[in-house]
Amino acid sequence: MANVTVFCFLASYSVALVVELLRLQKQSPTRFLGGYAFAAAGFLAHTLFLWNQGRASELPPLLSSSRDWTLVLAWLVVGFYLFVITFDRQVSIGVFLLPLVLALVAASYFVVSTPNDALLTARHGWTMLHAASLAIGMAGVLAGIVLSLMYLLQHRRLRHKYSGADGLRLPSLERLSRINWWSVMVSVPLLTLGMGSGLVLKMIGSAESLSLADPVIVVNGISWLSLTGVFGWMLLTPRATGKQVAWRTLLACAFLLLTVVSLLVLPQIGLESGHGGVVLHDDCLICRGDTL
Amino acid sequence: MKLQVIYCNHQTARLDVRERLAFTSDDQLAEAYTQFRGSFPGSEAVVLSTCNRVELYTAQDDEGGAPGHVELAEFFSRFHGIPIEEFFGDLLTHNGPDAVRHLFRVCSSIDSMVLGEPQIVSQVKNAYRRSEENQACGPLTNALFQGAIRVSKRVRSETRLAEGRVSIASVAVGEFARGIFDRFDDKTVLVIGAGEMAEETLRYLQDDGVREVLVINRDPQRAEVLAREWGGSGYGMEQLHDLLGRADVVVSATGADQPIVDAEMFRRARKGNSDQPVFVLDLGAPRDISPDVAEIDDNVFLYDVDDLQATCERNRKLRSREIERALGIIDEESDRFMQEVYHRATGPIVKRLREQWLEVSEQELERLRTKLGHLEEEDMGQVEQTIQRIVNKLLHPPLETLRNEAREGTPHGLLEALRRLFHIHD
Repeated sequence: MANVTVFCFLASYSVALVVELLRLQKQSPTRFLGGYAFAAAGFLAHTLFLWNQGRASELPPLLSSSRDWTLVLAWLVVGFYLFVITFDRQVSIGVFLLPLVLALVAASYFVVSTPNDALLTARHGWTMLHAASLAIGMAGVLAGIVLSLMYLLQHRRLRHKYSGADGLRLPSLERLSRINWWSVMVSVPLLTLGMGSGLVLKMIGSAESLSLADPVIVVNGISWLSLTGVFGWMLLTPRATGKQVAWRTLLACAFLLLTVVSLLVLPQIGLESGHGGVVLHDDCLICRGDTL
Repeated sequence: MKLQVIYCNHQTARLDVRERLAFTSDDQLAEAYTQFRGSFPGSEAVVLSTCNRVELYTAQDDEGGAPGHVELAEFFSRFHGIPIEEFFGDLLTHNGPDAVRHLFRVCSSIDSMVLGEPQIVSQVKNAYRRSEENQACGPLTNALFQGAIRVSKRVRSETRLAEGRVSIASVAVGEFARGIFDRFDDKTVLVIGAGEMAEETLRYLQDDGVREVLVINRDPQRAEVLAREWGGSGYGMEQLHDLLGRADVVVSATGADQPIVDAEMFRRARKGNSDQPVFVLDLGAPRDISPDVAEIDDNVFLYDVDDLQATCERNRKLRSREIERALGIIDEESDRFMQEVYHRATGPIVKRLREQWLEVSEQELERLRTKLGHLEEEDMGQVEQTIQRIVNKLLHPPLETLRNEAREGTPHGLLEALRRLFHIHD
């Protein structure tokens, strides 16, 4: 149990992805069960790893390090994947979700893995709210990206009179559109809550003033605003077409994801802002880089 | 005897070619039969014209006077007013056993876009009925089409070709409509045309949960009758514009010879509704919905019968084993049919020969009865039976030879020899 490493579940998810790709060629109960077994085994190893990490740092995985936060995000996505294919064996959602999971797990190698001493003295309630809302909000963002991609692909196939003979089974446009809408509706308030709680943490935890001219704040702010813009547009435009929703969600979510991943990875390659590293503020979990 | 088919179908010709060669109404078909009889008086003919195929079956006892491939193509050209070079390359022809095998394949739905679809049998029956009404068929085509229907029954009962999703409508609904909509119980379905295909479509849509059904037909009463069957409402064609705007699913299967919905009409109907996806299924041939309707906006998903081709090919692959079995049955039945046809050609000679010999034996028996009047009735019966056996035994070798020869084709040489040897006259 204690010997579980990132490589264990990275390998399991890779095999699960290969099996998912093979299922495009031919659907069979054996292939489904094989893919499901590898994904579930990876999920179990993933859970054990996060459990071990939490025990070692004596902090919940969400708070122990940026690396673990990234892995928790990947864990949420795998959980969503397993949930979906448990109820719908035919849908090819793994082809879209598993590459994202692999990218997140691989990215975790490049982000800070050491626990943050500052958090040991921080208020756990606020930090937990901050980290959890950001993690779930980001999972919603990832879902938004995947669902938008699936929508656009399905839309293209149907417009080109292609019914899925390639083995790629996608849900209906109506269902994709509905779930996509909810993913934005859930993730934007959570991200806002995460960012707001981060600001509160900053204000109560540091005497240092917050500079609105900091490039990190500007980039974060723009990406958040773009997604919030989509959120507002979706609420105010009930007659928007599914394709419009998919494109806007995809662009806004992809921009936000790119921003967050950049902020996680850039500190490791030495790029820092005047904001104490590439962070929104010193206590922000997803952007604090090596200052945590 | 010459039996042939000249045809184009969804595998050999594009929809626009099939549309131009199609016989879309009973009146047009009646006129075609009249012209055909005028051009080829000794030939039987049956036209099979559906959304996927246009086929002309001809049969004639006298091979010499039967129309050939080119003459039949010229007939199509004259009748439809289309230059022959515009479609000649799309036409295929089969003769004799191949023509029989072709019809058996068609009627068993091996040749259909959707493998195992049941509509083709009634379409074949209707085609023969129309030919009969127009006095264009005869004993050969009668035997051929009866055989085709019998073979299709056998294929359906002995293979699994007809299992699962098999009709064009069900594939369209199952593969495409379900890709667009998650549920159908909150959708409005507009059916244009009230024929068999429309009914078939409605059945699948209702299985998927459709509740609101609107049926439009040139004859509002017929629309009402169909709509009532499905718990919907029937309307006349004048309501088309209004109802198009309300529908989430439009299924059109009329026999109109030109599009009844064009892009401008559809755009106006969808005004204020263009954010909603609409699934438009055009099952008509010629098409009922102008193809440029699909370009109105991104939410219009228009499919015609040709668009179902890829899905049908996939079904075909999945059922390849059943196809093998069905083809085995069709080959066996085709051979049997041809033997019957060839054997039938020997029938008049055999009948005359038997009658002639029986006549001779009867004459000799009569003489014997006069000469041997003292014989008991029982003894005379024995004599009659003996002579009958002698006649049968003497007839057996030539008839056996004739039957064996007829397995490979009409034994013209042997028949001629029998005529001359035994002085048989028609």
